[in-house]
Amino acid sequence: MRFTTISEELAVTKLKKGIEREIEGYFESKGFSLIEPRIFQKYDEYVRSNFRQDSSKTVKVLSGNSRIFILRPDITTNVLGEIFSKWDGEPPLKVYYNSKIYLNKPGGKILENYQMGIESLGDDILDADKEIVEMATALMGTLGEPFILELGSSKYLDGFFREIAMNASDESEIRELISKKNRYSLRRKLQSLQIEGTILDFVLDMQGNMEEVIKMAYSHEINHEMKEALDELENLREFFTDKQMAKGIKFDLSMLPDLDYYDGIVFKGYCQSIPNKILSGGRYDRLTEEFGVRVPAIGFMIDMDLVTRIRNKGEK
Amino acid sequence: MDNITIAIAKGRLGEKGLELFKNTDMEIVREEDSRKLVFKDSKEKTTYIFVKPADVVTYVEKGVVDLGIVGKDVILEENKDIYEIMDLNYGRCRFVIAGFKNLYSVKKNDVLRIASKYPQYVQSVFENRDQRIEIIKLNGSVELAPLIGLSDVIVDIVETGNTLRDNGLEILEELDPISARLIVNKVSYRFKYETIQKIEKILGGE
Repeated sequence: MRFTTISEELAVTKLKKGIEREIEGYFESKGFSLIEPRIFQKYDEYVRSNFRQDSSKTVKVLSGNSRIFILRPDITTNVLGEIFSKWDGEPPLKVYYNSKIYLNKPGGKILENYQMGIESLGDDILDADKEIVEMATALMGTLGEPFILELGSSKYLDGFFREIAMNASDESEIRELISKKNRYSLRRKLQSLQIEGTILDFVLDMQGNMEEVIKMAYSHEINHEMKEALDELENLREFFTDKQMAKGIKFDLSMLPDLDYYDGIVFKGYCQSIPNKILSGGRYDRLTEEFGVRVPAIGFMIDMDLVTRIRNKGEK
Repeated sequence: MDNITIAIAKGRLGEKGLELFKNTDMEIVREEDSRKLVFKDSKEKTTYIFVKPADVVTYVEKGVVDLGIVGKDVILEENKDIYEIMDLNYGRCRFVIAGFKNLYSVKKNDVLRIASKYPQYVQSVFENRDQRIEIIKLNGSVELAPLIGLSDVIVDIVETGNTLRDNGLEILEELDPISARLIVNKVSYRFKYETIQKIEKILGGE
């Protein structure tokens, strides 16, 4: 945020600090401990584990012996490195962070983005899904505006693509069209590949009301991985319906994760007055393998710059 | 039905988009010869604002409007974080690389100078090709560039190819097909899902 007067800046900073304390208190009451990410990461390591990310967006720093480091562009992979160098998967670990990420912006500027978030490692999958998504919903609820939390699972489409023989470039084109919700080009692409009568014809209808989506999705499930994805979502649907928290939660099975490493539940939180996602998270068990032990892992981050903006508007 | 704001690209493409709403609840009400940039339908549920094509994408991304009608060429050039939910099936043309015959292949080991109104798009097309390029950004009459030696080839949108032929240029390579598209802000899409689906139907979607 940009300020014209120092008093305005101090007032907003005070508000932000207050919100941070509130959220920190909430995380701690749920048994999460603060972890501080390192600011520098090795460039090669980052590129290796994030091969699909645009590494040109990372802010590079040269060390004294000309090694390339980057300022942390995301917090999850950063804290996992720290954690797995000292932890072998037991007992379950719950951490939260309150930090910044740095990315290059057009015009030579550097974006600093304030984020808070949590990671739950090694806990039972279904329990952790419930706990984390409930906490995400609770945080969205504190914004004082109508919100939507959209939930999907990367395993549903991954499971499908595993069943069908398709070259990598067609698959990535189809994924791109799905992620753009581009029904018409998707249909044309499928016709040109002569793939008809698969879930790809319906996947863009699988969004909205939880009950309708899950019912439809079950009728198109063709393997264990897809079923597992739906069982996990159904677990959440029942949980939220019982708790009467289902309002504002939508399913979207055509949602593709923003980050490579998600495999399972993915979710994003929106408020009507802000054109970007405020909260995002998901399950990333597969990523933990790269650190040596595969454990169940799920987490989310919330964009504190946006949260402050919304709450600041509400205060006025 | 939610209130909806739609950004319309000024010009032929946008006007044709408005015709699709004719005889529906959403039909625009306009005074003759008005210079206003904001109009509504008769029930004041839909607001239309008229902006430059490239700005349609920006307005949608920033969420100040819910929907936009704009050409695929602009979407490709702007490359913003939006949903592109419908091909409106008009305004068809194609991105092409055009120039003088043969020159294209000769330039393989040299820097290829490309004039275009779409520098970002050109960059993305040549990103994974083994060809060094220099992009020259122009704002119009791109066909002129090879004729007066400003560039070797051009990347532009072509409907019939007449302008190219008249200037002695030919199509060296066909790139992405273009047509008018309906784009939507990601947050609007989620909050106004039912309304947006209705609009898709009005516009001829299944």
